[in-house]
Amino acid sequence: MSDSQQVRAVADVDRVVDCDAHVTEHQSDLLPYLEGPMASALRTDVDDSYGYISSFYPSAGFLTPVNTGKADATSVKTPADVREGMDLLDTDTVVLTPTQNLYLGCVQHPELAAALGRAYNAWLLDTLVDPSAGRYGACVVAPQRPAEAAAEIDDRADEPGVCAVFLPSGGVNPPLGKRQYDPIYEAAERAGLPVMMHNAAGTMLLSFPNLFQGFDRYLSSHAPVHAMQHMTHLSSMLTTGVPERFDVDFVVQEAGIGWVPYFERRFDHEYRAKREDAPILEKLPSEYLRDQFYFTSQPVEGTGDPDYVASMVELMGPDRLLFSSDYPHLDFDHSAELFRAVRSRLGPDAARGVYGETATAVFDL
Amino acid sequence: MVVDLDGREVAVFRVDGEFLALANYCVHQGGPVCEGRLSGTLAEAPDGTLSYDHEGGVVACPWHGWEFDVRTGEALADPNYRQPTYDVVVEAGAVYVEA
Ligand code: FES
Repeated sequence: MSDSQQVRAVADVDRVVDCDAHVTEHQSDLLPYLEGPMASALRTDVDDSYGYISSFYPSAGFLTPVNTGKADATSVKTPADVREGMDLLDTDTVVLTPTQNLYLGCVQHPELAAALGRAYNAWLLDTLVDPSAGRYGACVVAPQRPAEAAAEIDDRADEPGVCAVFLPSGGVNPPLGKRQYDPIYEAAERAGLPVMMHNAAGTMLLSFPNLFQGFDRYLSSHAPVHAMQHMTHLSSMLTTGVPERFDVDFVVQEAGIGWVPYFERRFDHEYRAKREDAPILEKLPSEYLRDQFYFTSQPVEGTGDPDYVASMVELMGPDRLLFSSDYPHLDFDHSAELFRAVRSRLGPDAARGVYGETATAVFDL
Repeated sequence: MVVDLDGREVAVFRVDGEFLALANYCVHQGGPVCEGRLSGTLAEAPDGTLSYDHEGGVVACPWHGWEFDVRTGEALADPNYRQPTYDVVVEAGAVYVEA
């Protein structure tokens, strides 16, 4: 499309690509494609369903809108099924990704995991991938066996329609920066394929936060850990209604600012579809956050870009932000660091609020 | 039952003998709300005890599972979202939906 043409609606885009279009592979799909010893070891005289194979993939035992029957669990196993989804969503091209194998990274038996990944790819390529119909596929590899994962990438890379490596990253422990995974990245580099990383809520539960034990550098731990732990605790507190049950204010510290607007929107978004998991709440999670939660500023990120800082502060609401220094710790902020962006973009009232008035009220100083 | 009302799909429910009509086009992302499960919903007491409330009074849109009060059309999680509702009149054994 030439630049001069306007894009007013999705349909004006020449080629709409859906980069995460799941298939729902079941036992009867995978069994015939198993190779090697696992093909002989596993029984095949059982009928279609997720079947015993699903028990290889650890699950968390949650109540979800799918198992309460409040959201559909649409089956996508044939080209017609994929087409139906593409028509429904007005897309032209899909990158097909798995469902059951989102949990592959948590399968305990490493050879079994590698065999399941291979079987999935064989089934996907045989059944669904067809670039001429806009159906591309991501080649799933089991991180448990990096050498076999690399061999799998080498084998599949030239198959028409393979456009990515799919690393089921949820719950993978140790974390994916460990040298043991290098063969996977080398193979992806060799093949010129991007690596997709996709988590699943139930998988993270199996090893998060133990995953942090695999962090052997201060940077890799310190950069995400404050915000991640806060999100974890706030998720728990909102779900059990702590701010509904207790008239208490909370001051959440030392995680910077950008995650706050993200987290409250993400939580509302999820809550609208999963309200039965937090039935005690009387209003939106973000409203509790707005009414009872304050956030201290340090270590404020992105100050080289005052537009970024000002828009994050605006999105979280300047009246919930409290200046903090963290002095004398190594990543302390000078009081001037945040001030310029707030004062110049949000005005004197916001600056007075962030720099003292809000804190005076919260702490009753 | 889903009926076509001047091009708008409207679903008519019968709950406890009462007729209720709701737009079938979900306010979230346009899913077919009224093809979803008609059910109740979990409630939680301050001590954490769960109960199942509003049996038959909640319809869930099958796309993402948003729950709506079939009487008011309000999304249970967020009353800022409301499915349009329509008046239903029963006359001489026939059911009429008012556009
Ligand atoms: S479209 Fe109805 S819940 Fe999303």
